[in-house]
Parts: sequence; C-alpha cells; structure tokens
Amino acid sequence: MDRKIVGLRRRTLLTAGATLGGLQLASPFIISARGEAPVKIGMVDPLTGSLSAPAGPEVEGAKYAVAELNKAGGILGRQIQLLVEDSANDVGTGVQKTRKLIDRDKVDVIFGDVNSGIAYAMSQVTNEKKVLHIVPGGHTDPITGADCKWNVFRICNTTTMDATAVSGELIKRFGKRWFFITPDYAYGHSLQDAFVKQLKKAGGEYQGDMLPIANSDFSGTLIKAKAYKPDVLLNNMGGLAQVDCMKQFTQFGMEKEMALGGALFELEALQAVPVEAKAGWWTMEWWWNQPGVPHVAEFVAAFRKATGKTPSARHWFGVVAVHSVKLAAEKAKALDSLKMAHALEDLELPADVALQPGKVRYRAGDHELMPNIFVGNAHPAKAGANPDDMFTVAKLVPGEEAAGSVADTGCHMKYPA
Amino acid sequence: MSGALARERPTTAIVIFALLLTAPFWLPYVGGYDALATRVLVFGLAAMGFNMLLGFTGVMSFGHAAYFGLGAYGAGLMLRYVTSSTMLAVVSGTLLGGLAGSLFGTLIVRRRGVYFAMVTIAFGQICYYIAYSWNSFTGGFDGLRGFSRQPIDLGFTSIDIQGNGTAFYYFVLLIFALAAAAMGLILRSPFGRTLLAIRENERRARFLGIPIERHIWMSFSISCFFTALAGALYALLNNFADPLGLHYTLSGEIVIMTVMGGMRAFWGPLIGAAVFVVLEDTISSMTVNWMSFVGIIFILVVLFFPRGLLGMLKRRDAA
Repeated sequence: MDRKIVGLRRRTLLTAGATLGGLQLASPFIISARGEAPVKIGMVDPLTGSLSAPAGPEVEGAKYAVAELNKAGGILGRQIQLLVEDSANDVGTGVQKTRKLIDRDKVDVIFGDVNSGIAYAMSQVTNEKKVLHIVPGGHTDPITGADCKWNVFRICNTTTMDATAVSGELIKRFGKRWFFITPDYAYGHSLQDAFVKQLKKAGGEYQGDMLPIANSDFSGTLIKAKAYKPDVLLNNMGGLAQVDCMKQFTQFGMEKEMALGGALFELEALQAVPVEAKAGWWTMEWWWNQPGVPHVAEFVAAFRKATGKTPSARHWFGVVAVHSVKLAAEKAKALDSLKMAHALEDLELPADVALQPGKVRYRAGDHELMPNIFVGNAHPAKAGANPDDMFTVAKLVPGEEAAGSVADTGCHMKYPA
Repeated sequence: MSGALARERPTTAIVIFALLLTAPFWLPYVGGYDALATRVLVFGLAAMGFNMLLGFTGVMSFGHAAYFGLGAYGAGLMLRYVTSSTMLAVVSGTLLGGLAGSLFGTLIVRRRGVYFAMVTIAFGQICYYIAYSWNSFTGGFDGLRGFSRQPIDLGFTSIDIQGNGTAFYYFVLLIFALAAAAMGLILRSPFGRTLLAIRENERRARFLGIPIERHIWMSFSISCFFTALAGALYALLNNFADPLGLHYTLSGEIVIMTVMGGMRAFWGPLIGAAVFVVLEDTISSMTVNWMSFVGIIFILVVLFFPRGLLGMLKRRDAA
C-alpha cells in the first residue's frame, strides 16, 4: 500500500511545516508601531562590479554623515537609518532594490546610483512612487536635463559642466589638436560631445576611439593616438578602465610626447595608479586640500579620525546627500517628498556642508547642485607632504558658469497637480 | 522509463499555485514584496522554458539570455515607438525572441553537446553587441528607456497594472499559469514523449524513425518562445530593457536556477528561480560578497542533491 501524501513524503511535509514555522520567528516582522520610527534613507549603489571603486566611498560618506547627525539629534528629532543595497551595476537589480526599499522598507528618501543608466531607471520608480530621490554621483546630463523630474536632485556635476570647466585650461596650456579615448555609452558620448563643442568653438581638431565600458587593453588605441600626434590625449574612461588606460599610457612612454587630460580623475583613481601615471589636467568635483577655506580642515581631520581616510569627492557627495535631507526636512518641517522637493529648490548649503568658497545651491530650474569645479593637475605626492596630496588646484570654475542656463539643459520641470 | 511527467502529481501544482495566489498576503510577513515575487515568476518562467530544452530534450544551451533579452527589447521597442498597448508589447516581445530563436535554431540543430552550447553563446553575444552598439535605436549600454507598461483596457473596465504592483503581479501570474499549462500540455503530448525518448537515447530514437533534428529544432524554438515571453514581462516589470539582459552571464544564471531547482522535475526550475532570486535579494543586502554565497550554495546543491531541490523532496522510489 502506497502511503504517500500527494507525491511528497510525510516526513518531508512535516519538516517543511516546521521550517516554515521557524521562518516566521526568524524573519523580520513588519513594524506596526511607528511612533518614534527613524527617518529612513535607502541607498542603492554598485558595490560590486566595475564601478565599485567610486560607489564604496559614497556609501562611506553617507554613513559618516548619518553617524555625525545622529549624535547631534538626527532629523526633526528622529534618528536616521541608512539602508544600503547593492545594485551590482545591473539595471534590473537596481530597479528591484529601489522597489524593495520603497515598498518593503518604506524609506523616506532614495539615494543612488553611480551608474547613470541605473540612476535614470531608478528615477522612473521614485517618480512613480513620489519619493524624493537624490543622485549623488551619476553624471550624464539628461538626469537633470531633458529627463529631469520634480523629485530628483543631483549633487555631482553634469558631464557638460566638467568638460566645459577643464577645456579652457587644456586649450590655453597645450593646444587645440586632441585625441579622445571614450567609453561607448551615454556618459562617454555626452562627455565627448561637450569637449568637442568647446574645442570647435576654439577652432580645434580631433580624432578618437570609442571603447567598451570595461575595456582593459588599450594598446591598439594608444598606437593610433601616437600616430595622430595630438597636443592632448583625453582619457574619458571611468573606474578601473581609466586606471588601466593611464598605466598603459605611461608604459608606452607617451607622457613625453603629449599632454594628458580629461574630465574626471578622482582621488580613488589617483590612489590606484602607479607614480608615473599620476599626471595630467583634470577636474575634481571637490578637493580636500583647500588652505584658508573655513570648516574644510576641521572636516578633513574629523573624517580622517573616524574612517582613517582622506575624504574624496565621492565621500563629500555622500555627506552632502545626507545633509540635504536634513536641510530639506527642517525647512519643510516635514518628511513629505513634495514639500521637501520645494524646500530644496534654491536651497543654499551652509558653509560647513558646502566646504568650499562661494555660494553652493540646488538650482531650482533643473535641480542640479551648483558647486565650484576644481580644475588642476595631478602629480605624485611631494616628499614629506600628505600621501593624498596629489592634485594642485589651478582654477575654481563656478558651476553656474560651466553649466550654462537652465534652458540649455533642456529641462522642463513638471510638478504633480 | 516511466517519464518525468508521470511523476508529477497534480498536488504539487496545487500547492505551488496556492502559494503563488496568496503571495501578496503572506509575503510582507516573511520580508518579501510584490516586485520580488514578480521577479521570481519571470525568472521561473524563463527557466521553465529553458528546461524544455535541457531537462526534457537533453540539449544544453548557454545562450538563452539572448531570447530573454530580445523578448525584453521587443516589448520595450513596441511600447516606445509603436503602441501603448501592454498586451501587444508582450506579444511582440515573445515573437521577436521566439522567431529569432527558431531561425537561429535551423542553423545549429545538427551540432551536439559542447559545440551546440558554444554556438548558442556566440549568437547571444551577437545580440548583446548589437543592442550595445546601436545607440540611436536601443539606447546602447544605458539601455532602452522612455516607456512604461500601460493599464489594460478590457472595454468595460481597465486594470491598473501600471501603478499597482499587486495588480501587475497577478497579471504576470496569469500569463505564467497559461504558459505553464501550455508547457505541461506540450510535454504530455506524443511530441513531448518523443522529446523524452530523444533525451534518453538519441540513437535508439533515430532507429525508430523519429526525425531527431526536426524535434530538437521544435523543442529549441518552443523553449525560446517561452523564454522570450519571460523577457517581455521582465521589460514591463522594470519599465526598462538593457543589454545585460542579453549577456551570457544571465544565460548562466538561468542554467543555475534550472539545475538548482531540479531539471528533471516540471516545477523544478521555478523552485530554483525562487531560491536564486530570494537569496540574491537577501544576501546582497548583508554583504557585498553575496555572489560567493550563491556560488557555494549552488556547488552544495550540485554535489549533494544532484537531482535539484525539488528532486530531493520527491520520493526516492520514483526515480
């Protein structure tokens, strides 16, 4: 006599039942009382994959700011809780994690992502769910340009801002014949377009190669660049690819034949390249060494004490993102997304958050932060100096000057009725 | 051989559908949410479609992400450029992926084993690079954007699958159920039995006069249609399609889900997909090394439960 129940063994069923029961105890139950619930911030960033190098510091900066603010009483008297999720540099995962944070964890604000494509896809979700969304470090123009949304604010510069800021210096110092090495996706395209626009204005000429985003072998392209004999080689690659490109550039001995430059060469990348590759003209979106500017030295010292690291622009993005939530919530006296979005418009960052000279505000027309852009040259740290002192700022370009008008960005801000 | 399907008791299906139908009610209590459940269904459907080929015909493909991704692009492009009908988008995605698979299948059915698998990878990568490079049409590496699923208009009423995640989950569940029923019918038909015969002993089946190549081609095509359907639903879930959906790493994930769940069991791939998606979702919130954990679990399953998780639950004497 076959005593099976429904094709499963009785013991299996019993085990399954016991496991399910156990799971009930082990899993997090939904919180029912929300009296003094913390202010929840959800952060989605590519902690794994080729953009993990810039993503890690953003999260670290946000965590640092959360810890500091919590010590000082949090936001509207409530503690802040930061929930971090890995987008794995994949759009589907990033979108799903955003829904998880909003639907399940009921976060008040969303941060992310370093990858502009994911940041854009996330903004569709946050817009649909009407949740305030701050993009700390995804650079492509449309996020605060043609695709701008009422609930989306951005801290890092647009690619156009970075390219415009450094172009003038490159033309003035080296010349108007350029060779581009550009990653073949929207970020790369819009960056190169911005450079070409400035170059054409000055009457220059160029050639270039579009390479896969995670390219690791640059020998073919570098040989081509050598043959073209440009005044400047523009390395537009990002993350690990940029570092690989720099290393091969110096291995080929090309630094003697042409100048090197580009939009971004972040502190994280500078730390990763060998001494010979610490060179060229770039922009920093924030730089830690600003002698004489109030609050900066204290911030750097406190950050070093807490984390053992010198703060980079990515750290600063994370810090500004958290402080923006606090500033918006306190100005709006609420955590409502719509009210906070209105509060953030034209909101000026206080000096101890802006950490740079001049006025830094979120422009109302396109929700883009308008900080200074630090144009300068990279070099190995001088003997006796701090090992992270690898960049000398030559010029501060005001963000507004590099960004152009709101009309130029193509943004038409629409609020829900 | 008693046939894999003879072992499938209707009760397994009843338990699975009871759980799926009530998912939005119990999920929040175990830390889940609608989008996660929808993702399980989508990948479960993709893996079950793939399993028509691997589990029931005995042919290995490492390029099924191509059809999944084409399904996603088919749906996305339709919504972006042509119409705002969600159903038409699903149909066009399924057709794009399915027909591409059928055409490609005619070229490769004579290959076997590792050669077959390698050619499928190659075709997948071709699709990946086309989507990657064709910036103006597919959005390139950044993916296809600027479309979203639309409410379904039934004439007398309309169902808001756009803003309501639970409604969308039930929409996907309905399509999943229809697809699973179709797969079940195909596998129970004489055609399905013939596929099993090919899997068990291709040479003997050939001696019996069965046109092997044509059957493998049909199995491959059908499998591509189901995977493409899953891809189309994935595009609607994310309101986005990107080239990584065509990449061979996703093909690998589909294989992992199928093998982990149990490729000889009809519902095995769904269980595998559920375990994979939920593990990915929970462990990646805890550590950045989540992929190692998924890998270790996969190795353990293959070593200790070679018939997969569902196979393990089944009676040993049914083997």
